[in-house]
Amino acid sequence: MLERSRLVVFCGWLLAFGALVFPAHALQVFDDRGSALTLAQPPQRIVSLLPSLTESVCALDQCQRLVGVDEYSNYPAQVRQLPVVGNGLEPSIEAIVALKPDLVLLASSSRASLRLQSLGIKVLALEPKTHADLRRVLHTLGVVLGLPDDHAARLWQRMDSSLNAVAKSLSAPARQARVYVEVGRGPYAASESSFIGETLTRLGARNTVPGALGPFPQLNPEFVVRADPDVIIVGGRSPEGLVLYPGWASMRAVREQRVCVLSPEQADVLVRPGPRLAEAAGLMARCLNEKMQAMGISK
Amino acid sequence: MNGTDLALQARHLGASLGGVPVLHDVSLGLRAACWTSVVGPNGAGKSTLLRALAGLLPHSGEVDLLNRPMPVYSGRERAQQLAWLGQGESSPDDLRVYDLVMLGRLPHQPWLAGPTASDHAAVARALGATQAWDWRHRLVGQLSAGERQRVLLARALAVEAQVLLMDEPLANLDPPHQADWLLLVRALVAEGKTVVSVLHELSLALQADDMLVMQQGRVVHQGACQDASTHSALEQVFECRIAIFQLAGQWLAVPRL
Amino acid sequence: MMSTGHPPRQGRVLALVLLLASAVLLLLGMGVGSTGLESLADMRHDPQAWQIVWDIRLPRSVGAWLAGALLGLAGAVAQGLFRNPLADPYLLGSASGASLGVALAMALLGVSPLATEWLARLGLAGAAFTGAVLAVLLTLLLAQGVQHTLRLLLAGVVVGVVLGALTSLALLLSPGIMQAMQSFMLGSTSFVAWPACVLMAAVALFTLVAAWAMSPVLDGLALGETTAQSLGLPLPALRAALIGVLALATGTAVAQTGLIAFVGLAAPHLVRSLVKTTPGRLIGLASLTGAVLLLSADLLARSVLAPRELPVGVLTAVLGGAYLLWLMHRQGVAGPRS
Repeated sequence: MLERSRLVVFCGWLLAFGALVFPAHALQVFDDRGSALTLAQPPQRIVSLLPSLTESVCALDQCQRLVGVDEYSNYPAQVRQLPVVGNGLEPSIEAIVALKPDLVLLASSSRASLRLQSLGIKVLALEPKTHADLRRVLHTLGVVLGLPDDHAARLWQRMDSSLNAVAKSLSAPARQARVYVEVGRGPYAASESSFIGETLTRLGARNTVPGALGPFPQLNPEFVVRADPDVIIVGGRSPEGLVLYPGWASMRAVREQRVCVLSPEQADVLVRPGPRLAEAAGLMARCLNEKMQAMGISK
Repeated sequence: MNGTDLALQARHLGASLGGVPVLHDVSLGLRAACWTSVVGPNGAGKSTLLRALAGLLPHSGEVDLLNRPMPVYSGRERAQQLAWLGQGESSPDDLRVYDLVMLGRLPHQPWLAGPTASDHAAVARALGATQAWDWRHRLVGQLSAGERQRVLLARALAVEAQVLLMDEPLANLDPPHQADWLLLVRALVAEGKTVVSVLHELSLALQADDMLVMQQGRVVHQGACQDASTHSALEQVFECRIAIFQLAGQWLAVPRL
Repeated sequence: MMSTGHPPRQGRVLALVLLLASAVLLLLGMGVGSTGLESLADMRHDPQAWQIVWDIRLPRSVGAWLAGALLGLAGAVAQGLFRNPLADPYLLGSASGASLGVALAMALLGVSPLATEWLARLGLAGAAFTGAVLAVLLTLLLAQGVQHTLRLLLAGVVVGVVLGALTSLALLLSPGIMQAMQSFMLGSTSFVAWPACVLMAAVALFTLVAAWAMSPVLDGLALGETTAQSLGLPLPALRAALIGVLALATGTAVAQTGLIAFVGLAAPHLVRSLVKTTPGRLIGLASLTGAVLLLSADLLARSVLAPRELPVGVLTAVLGGAYLLWLMHRQGVAGPRS
């Protein structure tokens, strides 16, 4: 009887010890939908269904933990070797489950999260829409991946200073430029309140489309003619380049060839709210510098 | 047949519906300026015969209209000489009575010409004959079933064709209007027109000049409605479930109970 | 509802009203711009603004009017030909065909230099038109001719569904075009310039004259096929010709303005609610009504959320549907005659 009581006490101490140790490794974060995610330990097998999240994970030097990506994740080059599980909005649930992931990263708008959770898979929904969002997402990822606190912060610092450097590289005429960024045939524009618009504002250039219209409004083509932008940037992946709506041929920017048509790879960089922020800014800055130099007049 | 003029003649007429043969080698002649009624049990092929005679159904054999072979007529010529009133034909609810009856003048109107004075006169005559003139501006959709039938009849009359083929023209008509129709047909025949009607109201069918009795796709008897041979053929074709009597100078068919 | 007016006069009055409305709306169209309604008088002082009016607003407004006219015409022909009040211009698969044409064109653009060269020449409008016409031909093939109305309708449904599925497949395989396709599917006059207007005007004139020339067939068909045949109308040839008119009108409208729903369906109904007339006389009035309907919707689409644009198709559905609902309510209250 004495042995049994000693066994009970021993087990009790073990449990207490365990209760003290485990919380130190348990992770709890809140995702973009407000729901909490608790992990006993940092995930080692991650599936990412959003290209910007893929790039973020790799930027945090945890690329080796990725075991599967969606079909649009193509940067950095090593993720192209990974198994593809479909597209981000409608991924192949079966393929994801077959990879036995510890964590799935996806967009808040994805319908797969409920299904995956019902199958017992941990899901984290993150969708950065502004620069502040991106900083928060990087921080959350840093916590979830079990990285030291300042790892994500240092990454953000690097991105921020690169962005500042690009902003400084903008020539004086370029800083006066009024820009129209088109992201799709319709025409769909990137306004001030979009991610791209925010980057443009950080550079110091001016967006012809006000943020009050929403991030990607479908505009009346007449609006662009009225706004008379100095430079047009086309990031819509349309092979025809700039679609000339009726009346656009007479715009100064079109007549004087101040139109930058981005290649599909460049368009990817521009559109994704991810760690290549500074590169996107660089693309726009180069375009502005080049085209405004041709104009040569500062207004 | 005998030497009288034949409005419609058929030789070895055969027709199928959906692959099933309905008319078997029918040969007949319908007298001009005469009212022939076509009777027979359900499924005897009466409607099919009428359609074949009107050229509205692909058939084997030959049909002559007014002593000329049917293929000689162009569509328009045939439509001017032969008017058709189908059974249970749809009528558009959104049309006015006058406009609907005017459609009967299509065979006479040059392709895109509007209605002429003679067209209007013909429509007026047709509407008058069916007592529909007073409501010529009403919408067809707002008429009762009997009124609609009279309008469709007026449409057929408006064609003013030599030969009129009518399939169940008395559907939905109340007794006074059935009597009106009878008098109308008699008037048409007096003018020299030929009327052929499929009727299942046997007592009214017996009012015709000639009767064509059909059974299972063949003509069993053709003769005057007054003849006793016609009456016995009629009784036989209906398996002696009817009896034919004379009352007040008219022949009546009553069920034999 | 007893009307005292002599029918042809009613029709003429309606036509005049619609023409007047068109003129007013076109004038308004010149004034609707990126800030909503703008005074035309101000325009005269500003050369850039004046150019906007002539190069952008006027062709869009005229284009919307013409596209609406084509769709209204096609709707009237479809409803007369099939004697079905639910018929619309797209019932022989032309909508799905046009979508597939545009989706394939967008997907293949840039994939191979040969494809790009061809497609650049054809243009997306050409691709839409080709798709629409080929779809109708496919329907005719499946139905083995124009004689059997029910077979035609069924074949049209089948072609519509199958081509729609293929379009979805194309979208899945190249999702980059999804946003652009959406603007096509919901309809837009943003792409209409003067050459497009001239093309639509030519086609509208041709199809209107052709449909009017064949209107006796539509009138006769109102009495049923057998009766129409008994009236001596050359049904097979003219039915095929009318389907050709339908495909041409629909294809042209869809090629320039995308898939605009409801105009073709609602325009003949709207006319019939005001004027009771034969299907043949309906065509011209339905065409005018469709034109006014689409132009009004386009003006609203451009001005409600200026400078943003709403898809025109949404507004045509709202406008046309609301009026039809009100009509149905009125008829329900009055009660049908037994």
